[in-house]
Amino acid sequence: MGRRTQNRLFGSAGNAASLLGFTLLLAFTIHAQNTLPDKEMDRVQAMINQSKKDAEQFSKSGGKPGDANNPNLKWSADFWKYREKHPASPATVAATVEALRLLNRADRLSELREKADTLKPDDAAWKQVFYVLMSAAAKSKDYSYLISKAEALAQTASDRDIKAQARFNIGDAYWRIKDNDRARKAFQAVVTEYPGTTYAEAAEGNLREIEFLNLGQPAPAFERTTISGDPISLGGFKGKVLVLKFWGTY
Amino acid sequence: MGEVPLLKELYAKYLDQGVAVVGISLDDELKPLQEMVASKGMSWPQIHDADQSLVKLFNVKGTPTYYLIDREGKIAAKDIPIKKLGSAIDELLKK
Repeated sequence: MGRRTQNRLFGSAGNAASLLGFTLLLAFTIHAQNTLPDKEMDRVQAMINQSKKDAEQFSKSGGKPGDANNPNLKWSADFWKYREKHPASPATVAATVEALRLLNRADRLSELREKADTLKPDDAAWKQVFYVLMSAAAKSKDYSYLISKAEALAQTASDRDIKAQARFNIGDAYWRIKDNDRARKAFQAVVTEYPGTTYAEAAEGNLREIEFLNLGQPAPAFERTTISGDPISLGGFKGKVLVLKFWGTY
Repeated sequence: MGEVPLLKELYAKYLDQGVAVVGISLDDELKPLQEMVASKGMSWPQIHDADQSLVKLFNVKGTPTYYLIDREGKIAAKDIPIKKLGSAIDELLKK
């Protein structure tokens, strides 16, 4: 599975080797779903596979996201129908997320919002729906829906994870629109209200980044040993332009 | 791993112009890292960040993530896609 970052978040997470912050949750969810025999999950997965093929075909033949015959629209409707016919289950969550993701893909943002509005505050799909809403917000450069939705969920959800993630998303959204004061406030709230969670850890990292890792600030100093056994430090590269690549073999 | 050939190209192009590359691997195990570095012919230094302390220090949220640091040790770019890395390096070298 690809490990490219999707904007600031991991787009996909299928490997628990190096996951950071709140992506851990997503990975564990997927992992758990993959290890249990679940016929409904297989069925939804087969739908997802076919919808991907259709989307590829459509795109290859020159189709544009906003076209009325975008197969993502038909598939989104099918996934939503699946959701409505089936009680809550991991497969229902997957179908819900897929329905919304495909609406985003097809640039149907108002429809996406309408459907997201029908999800109850404690719907298990929220954890992944936030990723879809963040992606839609980034695309339209309009974070107001995401922020108001997250504010509401932070109040009304009873699931602690959903509340923490909502607060985290508020911080992330404000950070993206460079409202660092509000971003700081939201991340600080995650740290104090949800200690010990992956969100708190990620929020702490973001608070440090807002403070110390801006362009033009000195890069944090480090001293390590390379895998060949040579000492290496940031100071040793003074006078050189340095590229740091964080990566993994997975 | 489609990015490795691109980075190798950049590395070779800028090697004599005062540009260094350092890989920081998030792998749990050292062995696959050593094997891939050898098999792909990555000749730049590699740090095995097994305890993720550098990941924390630079608040890295996913892989791959690139940081670009200027001659004075200041952050010139972060989360930059590899396709934009070459022109960002060119800008820094002009200074």
